[in-house]
Amino acid sequence: MGFEKFGRFGYVSQTKVNPLLSYLEKGKIAATRCKKCGRKYFPPRADCLDCRHSIIEWVVLDGKSNLITFTQVFFAPPVFQPETPYLLGLAELVSGSRVFAPISPTVDKEQLKPGLELNLKVAKGSRDNLYYWLE
Amino acid sequence: MGRIGIIGVGHTKFGKRSDASLRELAFEAYSSALDDADMDSSKIDGSVVCSATHYDKQRSPAGVVAEYLGLNPQPTFNVEAACASSAVGLRTGWALVSSKLHDVMAVVGVQKMTELSSEEIQELMGRAGDVMWESPFGTTMPAYYAMYATAHMAKYGTTEEQMALVTVKNRKYGSKNPNAMFQKPITTEEVLKSRPVSAPLKLFDCCANADGAACLIIANAEKAKKLTDRPVWVAGLGLASSPMSLAGRTGPLTSFDVTKNAAKAAYQMAGVGPNDVDVAEVHDSFSITEILNYEDLGFAKPGSGTRLLEKGETELGGKIPVNIDGGLISKGHPVGATGASQLFALTRQLRGEAGSTQVDGAKLGLAQNIGGIGMYSAVTILRA
Ligand SMILES: [Zn+2]
Repeated sequence: MGFEKFGRFGYVSQTKVNPLLSYLEKGKIAATRCKKCGRKYFPPRADCLDCRHSIIEWVVLDGKSNLITFTQVFFAPPVFQPETPYLLGLAELVSGSRVFAPISPTVDKEQLKPGLELNLKVAKGSRDNLYYWLE
Repeated sequence: MGRIGIIGVGHTKFGKRSDASLRELAFEAYSSALDDADMDSSKIDGSVVCSATHYDKQRSPAGVVAEYLGLNPQPTFNVEAACASSAVGLRTGWALVSSKLHDVMAVVGVQKMTELSSEEIQELMGRAGDVMWESPFGTTMPAYYAMYATAHMAKYGTTEEQMALVTVKNRKYGSKNPNAMFQKPITTEEVLKSRPVSAPLKLFDCCANADGAACLIIANAEKAKKLTDRPVWVAGLGLASSPMSLAGRTGPLTSFDVTKNAAKAAYQMAGVGPNDVDVAEVHDSFSITEILNYEDLGFAKPGSGTRLLEKGETELGGKIPVNIDGGLISKGHPVGATGASQLFALTRQLRGEAGSTQVDGAKLGLAQNIGGIGMYSAVTILRA
């Protein structure tokens, strides 16, 4: 299985950042870092925007984050319909990167508001798929 | 740089057009644009066909559209920028005519959406975002705009009732537009009671998929003056891009930087500012989008777009009438045709031909068209 294993339902199977999956398998979330200039990327990138260097290393990421915004999806693409309604959020990690992720159903929807502290954690799906969510 | 004029405009009925194929819709709009310009096909030396081709059964639709319009062997090609395809098509045509490669061109926006099953449409909608990092979580078009709405509500206290005012206003004017998909006014209560799509957006906060086409015939200044005595001039063109991924964008997500950048370029090129605009068409794919657009275009200060609605300033007779052809919310949104539809409405306003929705003495019009989930935005300024 390739990168389509990433997400609740993945579309892209081939990428240079495939190693993300092995970190997720170990319960860790990882970013990439440019070996030349040190710029960090999350979601991971294989290529540095600043110096166009493509030799990268992987670094484990701190999941502490603050919610920027969110929605609750009622009307979903076909493969996601069995799980409606579900929450999606955008959060800013302490490292400064932003992450788009589902919000775990264990989070009380009534408490959600921009600024709320959440944690980005590894999540496992029922089809052997791996991702992360905010909880 | 010579001026480029719009010398003819055409528009089909938008909606569920089970009577017509993509090529036939394109023909309806093209033919009525030629009638409007009082000319025939012989002077058209190229076509720009604008559609979000992933919705079309026909691969590379410019091929079949040019054939069906009788525009072979002149050059033709497709322009795709999602919902902003035909605004970007006008920019493309403008550049081709300005460069003198062409003299008179047809910019045809067209989309055939309703022959896809709702399953197919929803599957396509699910891949409207960054397919590697965001679509795998079950994103939808409304979900992205809903996240802007949540942020705007939290920062400025914007309410669902205020958002509903956009739909109420636009549906009121849609009832006066024979080309609109929905021609029935709606109440705030009906909007608020409609079923949730992606909170806080509900069904009547959203525009609908539709079939339809709109066409603009453009020409250089010399030809424009020769062919018509009522050209409308392209005064300003602004286009910008923004990261496709929501996570790649900066700021609190209470505005679209992409629209602010496009507006700045268009105002600068036209040598005007937001206070000079007499009539506007803005991208109301969702009610919240129209409110953000007021602020991003400079019609209102950040956070105060809702006040324009409450004071009736964007109604006919207000300071700056917006979407008084009904907007996407009433007309429906045949993706590739929407930008040209906005420019059709402005052209008629600037010629004084808008009938019961005419803005008295309108001289300067502005259209703003967002592509997809906000990765493109085009601002076009027309002058009588
Ligand atoms: Zn670097």
